[in-house]
Amino acid sequence: MALTVGIDVGGTFTDFALMDDRTGALRLGKVLTSADDPSRAVLAGLRTLLAEGGFDARDLAHAVHATTIATNTVIQRKGLPTALLTTEGFRDVLLIGRQRRFELYDNSIGKPRPIVPRELCFEVPERLMWDGSVRRPLDEDAVRTAALAIRASGAAGLGICFLHSYANPAHERRARDIVREVAPEVLVSISSEVSPVYREYERASTTVLNAYVMPVVSAYIGRIEDGLAEMGRRRSLYIMQSNGGIASGDYVRRHPIRIIESGPAAGVLTAARYAEAAGTSNLISFDMGGTTAKVCLIENGRPGMTETFEVDMINLKPNSGIPMNIPAIDLVEIGAGGGSIARAEMGGIKVGPISAGSSPGPICYGLGGREPTVTDANLVLGYLNPDYFLGGTMALDLDAARAGIMERVATPLGMTLEEAAWGIYEVVSTQMAQAARAVSIGKGRDPRHFALIPFGGAGPLHGAELARQLGCGRVVFPKGAGVETAIGLLMADPAFDVARTSILALKPENLPRINELLAGLAADTGRELDACGVDGERHLVASCDMRFVGQGYELTVELPAGPYRAEDAETIRQAFLRTYAATYGERAFDPKAPIEGVLWRMAASIRTPRLTHPDLPADGTGAGAGVALKGRRPAYFRDRRRAEPCDVYDRYLLPAGARFTGPAIVEERESTIVLPPGAAAQVDAKGNLVVDFGG
Amino acid sequence: MSAHVDPVTFSVIWGGLVSASAEMGATLQRTAYSSAVREGTDFSTGMFDADGNMVSQGDYSPGHLGSMAYTVGKMLAYYPAHTLRPGDAMISNDPGIGSGHLPDMYMVCPVFLDETLIGFAVNIAHQIDIGGSGAGSQVVDGILDNYQEGIRFLPTMLYRAGEPNEEIFRIIEANVRMPEVIGDMRAQYIANQAGGARMQALARTYGIPVLRQAMRDLIDRSEVQMREAIGRLKPGTYRFEDQLDDVGPGTAPVLAKVAVTIGEDGVTVDWTGSGPQREAGLNSYLSYTNAYALAAVKSVTLPLLPQNAGTMRMIRTIAPEGCFFNPRRPAPCGGRATVSHRIYEVIMGALAQAAPDKVIAANSHFFNPNIGFQDAQTGRISIVWETIIGGVGARHGADGAEALASPWNGTNMPAEMQEMKCPILVERVELIPDSAGAGKWRGGSGMRKDMRMLAPDGNFYNLGDRHLFQPYGLAGGRPGALGRTLIVSPTQGGREVHSKGNYRLAENDVVSWQTAGAGGYGDPLERDPEAVLRDVRARFVSVEGARRDYGVVLAGAPLAIDAEATAALRRSMRAA
Repeated sequence: MALTVGIDVGGTFTDFALMDDRTGALRLGKVLTSADDPSRAVLAGLRTLLAEGGFDARDLAHAVHATTIATNTVIQRKGLPTALLTTEGFRDVLLIGRQRRFELYDNSIGKPRPIVPRELCFEVPERLMWDGSVRRPLDEDAVRTAALAIRASGAAGLGICFLHSYANPAHERRARDIVREVAPEVLVSISSEVSPVYREYERASTTVLNAYVMPVVSAYIGRIEDGLAEMGRRRSLYIMQSNGGIASGDYVRRHPIRIIESGPAAGVLTAARYAEAAGTSNLISFDMGGTTAKVCLIENGRPGMTETFEVDMINLKPNSGIPMNIPAIDLVEIGAGGGSIARAEMGGIKVGPISAGSSPGPICYGLGGREPTVTDANLVLGYLNPDYFLGGTMALDLDAARAGIMERVATPLGMTLEEAAWGIYEVVSTQMAQAARAVSIGKGRDPRHFALIPFGGAGPLHGAELARQLGCGRVVFPKGAGVETAIGLLMADPAFDVARTSILALKPENLPRINELLAGLAADTGRELDACGVDGERHLVASCDMRFVGQGYELTVELPAGPYRAEDAETIRQAFLRTYAATYGERAFDPKAPIEGVLWRMAASIRTPRLTHPDLPADGTGAGAGVALKGRRPAYFRDRRRAEPCDVYDRYLLPAGARFTGPAIVEERESTIVLPPGAAAQVDAKGNLVVDFGG
Repeated sequence: MSAHVDPVTFSVIWGGLVSASAEMGATLQRTAYSSAVREGTDFSTGMFDADGNMVSQGDYSPGHLGSMAYTVGKMLAYYPAHTLRPGDAMISNDPGIGSGHLPDMYMVCPVFLDETLIGFAVNIAHQIDIGGSGAGSQVVDGILDNYQEGIRFLPTMLYRAGEPNEEIFRIIEANVRMPEVIGDMRAQYIANQAGGARMQALARTYGIPVLRQAMRDLIDRSEVQMREAIGRLKPGTYRFEDQLDDVGPGTAPVLAKVAVTIGEDGVTVDWTGSGPQREAGLNSYLSYTNAYALAAVKSVTLPLLPQNAGTMRMIRTIAPEGCFFNPRRPAPCGGRATVSHRIYEVIMGALAQAAPDKVIAANSHFFNPNIGFQDAQTGRISIVWETIIGGVGARHGADGAEALASPWNGTNMPAEMQEMKCPILVERVELIPDSAGAGKWRGGSGMRKDMRMLAPDGNFYNLGDRHLFQPYGLAGGRPGALGRTLIVSPTQGGREVHSKGNYRLAENDVVSWQTAGAGGYGDPLERDPEAVLRDVRARFVSVEGARRDYGVVLAGAPLAIDAEATAALRRSMRAA
């Protein structure tokens, strides 16, 4: 017998999905997150789950984990003191950043609190050129002196970032060796390994973040591995990375920054799993929680990827946070969640980005919140059941929510209470639609050809309205809301991305160099695949960030399988032109202009045979939806302009094959599905609620 | 015939127009070629209604954004609205029509739904070169009129019904040093199409009358908001003056003098009494002067309110014709970006009397120089377009931010990118110790950048200021240290050069730009000694500086505050 467990740590709950690898049978669990040390709830919850199921812990073969440990370490600045070592003259590279204002006219804006204080930024004589040649050799004595000072400062981590090291890692590697000799207790990260991409600020920032989270992540993994070992197995832990692939604990110890978006990536991967239910592998993943909503485009089953993003942003404003260059699933995150505050402004309704969070929270929580939120609007509209919030564990104060919306929104704008609540609902849905359009239409994709997968505490409340605005014909509400991500982890495969910067014109005479480069990258990923301890079919996909000669931003283009012969230069060129035209339009460029490759990438993954799609048991025996009808309550919908009685279903009682039409409300413990008039719903064999809109 | 727009639809259309402007900017940056646009973010975007009123803008550069409002109307004087067709694109870089110098190229595209004109998508991109006497087209010294500064387009149709006018492109190609300009203008067109598509989608969803009325409502309500915010300022007339160092080597300063009147009908900024226009590429055309007046007033009233025709109606600029801040054509203006700080700061200085806790002291100045190279073998020209940006002035309750653009907005140039493109080596980019203006809250530090020439020769056109007049402090805060520019040559050693001079550089010459520090706020003797100690530990302030500027005595290893000596020193300094 072999068991695999998926463990997803969220802000409030830690979710578990335990699967018997042979039968696909699932057992789910949920415990409160232990915020001070999340590993405690992970291990305690796992023990309980195993015991409840009567399993032998020694049968646990794999644990797959999504964690917020890296993100929280950065956002709360909980890491240990970390230093920077850089090229002489560039000590202030982190402090200076790119210098752009994220609010144009607001003179109170500042910069993110630095990860490395200025007194821990050190520099040494050395200099490389952009082609990797050495202009000034590394001053090894200066490295020794700096290492001593770093040791004396008490820094636990060190990021080394030398100019142009993406083109030649020799100086960084030598400096790392010296530091290890002189200050062996300092954990060192070098930029040529963490993020070998040009632009010194972004690379240095990524490198010090890696160094900063390394001690915390390493200790955390150690605690979980030790705990698993006590249960009888060792070396069985895998962690979700930002790129959607899982990696071993050893790999993550070396590259901890790669798990910074672990949780959100796991969520998107989970959404990708519902392609079958949706009848298309073009999906929009929509994860809405208490403070933000995250949208991701999944095309042909593959989530969009980005190479650069920010952490610790202010109001999610671009350029307000700390940038990172690592491959990650491309999520658009906006300040629109259940706790987002609504107000009247200039004769309109504004929602967010400020959130009441969970404390004081929405007015209806009765915890002291005084400003109306999206959750209050959902309650007033009749979508939320005041007596069945979180499965009835928390009573909601409807009268207080009504009064708050009346006072802050309806009265100032001369609207009725219901109109104002609907307005809040529609405005927040529109903000999410705009974010979804930016990642779809903005990149040449038509959202009408995508199905929407809503999840998270507030996703199912707004999913149908978002789909209507985007023109998506189908919405799939996954079964197992609340623990979908833990289930999704069971499905994840190991994946590693490596990249190297080398600016090469795309012409036949450069193909031998390109072949050599890609072969080297393939060998690098091969070593990681060998080390990850998972067997299965290997997949390698090469891609390249290309541009017209003279441009400064690139487009990632997937490359055909190599090695290449002379005539392949034209094939690759055409692939770039197709991508460019799809992104920016046919008229956007001169098709005869020369093209160059800048960053060469290899994405390697293993498809594991053990990870089958588990069937959730379909309840019931072909009975109609009526068996799940809990009652009726008034709910407000756009076209009706007033609250009308609306069927309310218990999701847990809906049998497979049941059909019904909106308006309807489907309640489950952690969320509520809202179906507007005209929505046709059907429960599929796996218990997912598949909703189609007329036509 | 006006439609009623309900609050929800209004909110949705408003959000849609703002995000359309942002999407245009993202598209422009990603498809552009030149370092000014793609790295320096020197561009701006906006959406206009069918009558040419500005409705929304992307958060880019105040100088462009404030000027943009008037551009569409001026273009329509040449191409009346009824002659426009879908896919058209008009351009102009006339300093009076646009934002005050030739490199700023405006592109205005009408947006149609079916046959009906519903608005305009507009963007402006700083072209890295537009011809004229020196690489980068921002030369100050030796420029007598605008005709020396490059090619000028009065409103001209660059695309007609989606077809590029290749002849105009050929004229541009023949007159600029860098072929990137052609690519950047294509990128401008792509960006406007992206914005236009978003406006069309709004019109399709809500109908043209609703869209039109929502845009009108947005403008009118913004005006009301701005009127109310101005009403909360203390009414009166407030005066302030400062100087621009000069307009080139051996020239006199330019007096910048304002009277800012806060009244019931808005804010009026009167430049009467300021210096006359000059024969140097530095004059500030009225649209540009007004743009930074808008930025200054907005920052003390409603900094987060979207800027549009409505907010602008409440702010007026008066400047006598022939004044440096309202020059007559063909006054030269290539380097006018350097004046932006002074326009903003003298208005801030005046507003400090009306709203002392909402203003900032003077910023570090920034440098915006160009260095042109020509490769001897290939003949290829390359240009270093530089932005060296210092710190922000202190304000009541907070130190000024370090290394942040203000009031101008832009981005610095990564050394790794510059070295790939141009024959230079960046040797140093760092903050300057003891440069920040002292105060209870201190200003941001000055910025230093050193660059070595690797080519046999290059032409250097410097563009900076605050080498002679320090950035002022407020409420007892001290001014920031002066900036300077040095050229260190292997043969002749180092020499200070002029902030706006033209120089021939030789191989291995190092140019060192050092901006001024930003001004402080409040009496430095009231600064918390712990804050001074932190600054010394982080090397913003030296031990001597702590004593001299703050009266804080630090001693020992590790350094600690000598409380008694500090109290005594501060007593004696106050008495002095």
